[in-house]
Formats: sequence, structure tokens, C-alpha cells
Amino acid sequence: MIGAAVQEPGERRVHVGQGDHYVSSDPDVVLTTVLGSCVALCLRDPEAGVGGMNHFLLPEGAGTDAGAGRRYGAYLMEVLINDVLKAGGRRDRLEAKLFGGGRMFDALTDIGAANAAFAERFMADEGIAVVGGSLRGAGGRRLHYWPVSGRARQRAVTDQAALPSSTPRTPPLASAGDLELF
Amino acid sequence: MPAASAIRTLVVDDQLTMRSLVRASLQQIGVRDIEEAPDGEAALRSLLVQPVHLVISDFNMPNLDGLSLLRAIRAHPPISKTAFIMLTGRADRELVQRAVQFGVNNYLVKPFTTAQLKEKLEAVFGPLT
Repeated sequence: MIGAAVQEPGERRVHVGQGDHYVSSDPDVVLTTVLGSCVALCLRDPEAGVGGMNHFLLPEGAGTDAGAGRRYGAYLMEVLINDVLKAGGRRDRLEAKLFGGGRMFDALTDIGAANAAFAERFMADEGIAVVGGSLRGAGGRRLHYWPVSGRARQRAVTDQAALPSSTPRTPPLASAGDLELF
Repeated sequence: MPAASAIRTLVVDDQLTMRSLVRASLQQIGVRDIEEAPDGEAALRSLLVQPVHLVISDFNMPNLDGLSLLRAIRAHPPISKTAFIMLTGRADRELVQRAVQFGVNNYLVKPFTTAQLKEKLEAVFGPLT
């Protein structure tokens, strides 16, 4: 069990794994994840009372403009944004907190820095205000995010075994041919 | 065999990042004449002033979504023959079938590769040089 802290009464924890995202307007929901070099975008519309989190790790080459990494990252950002908008959020009210992108002890290249840079550039390009968070640094983080209030809490993870693998999940490119209509 | 550089294209997406990624892929394929619009409404206004050969449009957008843009294009005789490729976030059968009813030429599921985009362009225009 990853969540070691004592759970508040009525609180409902939802774990967001790598490549996943989750959106909620339930004030009792706490989104949790563990980040190494991965980055989590915590996004919400404070007026609509809806928010969510994603958790991504870009494949290598994410820095190049047309790279597969950026395309995959942009896609993961978009599905979270679209789901927040579908749940009643408005794009011009969105505020973001970014976490993760740590430099891992065993890594030869600083994948975390590339993930962090991608996330920051995406937010700047899309005009979404970043109101907090914690990017880069050494090691991993355990993150809790309350998507309705926007409160976030992180703790350093010192136990290497608790951290997720730094291998990106394969982008779901194969789905492009699922529907044979053409 | 049409030249990619001759295909005037309008890329429609509410996310600047996605528009710039589609633009970068198109440029790799050899498409040079690329316009952008942030939603369906802006796209339609632009098309009526400056028609293009191809529209590549996202589905989920504010103001006028991708499906409504497609219907509007097909309903305006001067631009009704414009080729239209829909970008979708997932292989949503119902959405794709509705797009087919409204006369979409092809669709592409995000995230896509440049090779996949080229494949779709060639399915619409024939082999490109």
C-alpha cells in the first residue's frame, strides 16, 4: 500500500498511475501518486469546483519540436484539459500546479528535467497560469492533490523501491487504425 | 502525383501546442502553405476569405467543434469540396461514423506520427511527391 498517511474520515483516495489521468468535482476525493522523473499536472477551475491530475513520463527526445515525446505529452495534457472542461471547467479560469521531474539517482540522463521543461513550456504556450508546485530536485515525491480545493501536499520519497519505473509506457499509437472505415 | 508543397492547409485546434506539432509534421512531409485557427468559428471565417485544399481539425473545441465545422464547410458551396481530416483523442466509433455521414475524408487518432499523417494525406490526395 502506497498511501502510508492516515486517511481522513469520508476521504476517498484515487491513485493516478503513469499515463493515467483522473478528474473529479467531489471535495472528498484526494488524488495520489508517486513521482520520480515523471511529472504530474494538477489542474482545476476554482470557480466551477472541478479539477484533476495526470501523470506522465515522456519518451526520450521530448525536447525536439516534432518529436514523438512532445506529441505524446501534448496528447496526455489535452485529455486532462478536455475532461476538466467537459466536467464544467472553463479554459480561461484554469490554474495549474506542476510536480515531479526529479533527477533520479541511477539515471544517466536527466529525464526529469526534460519532463519538467516540457510541462512548463506547454503551460506557457497554452496560457494556463501555474500557481504552484515543485519541479526538479533530487529524488522522488509522494503527492496528494485535492482537485476541488486545489490543496496539494508532497513528501520526499527516500525508499527507491517505492518509486515507479522510469521506463515510459508505450504511447498508444496502435489505436490509430482501430476503426477500419477508410 | 500531387506535390505536397502545393497543398494549402488549415490546421484547426484550440491548443497551440497541438497546432505547432501538426504544422511541424506537415512541414516534414513537404507541405509549405499552412494556416492555423484556434476554433471552428475562426476556421470558417478564414476559409470563406481564403479557401484551402485541406482542413485538419480537432474535434473538441470551443465555439464551433470539429463536427460542426465539417457540416458548415459541406454546406457552403464555394468551399464544400475542401478535403477534411478529423483529429480525435480516441478511436470513438460513434464520432467517426457521424463524421463519415457528414462527409469527412479521413480521421487520425492522437497522438499520431508524421508517417501516419502522411498515410492519411496520401489516402485523400494520392501518392505525394
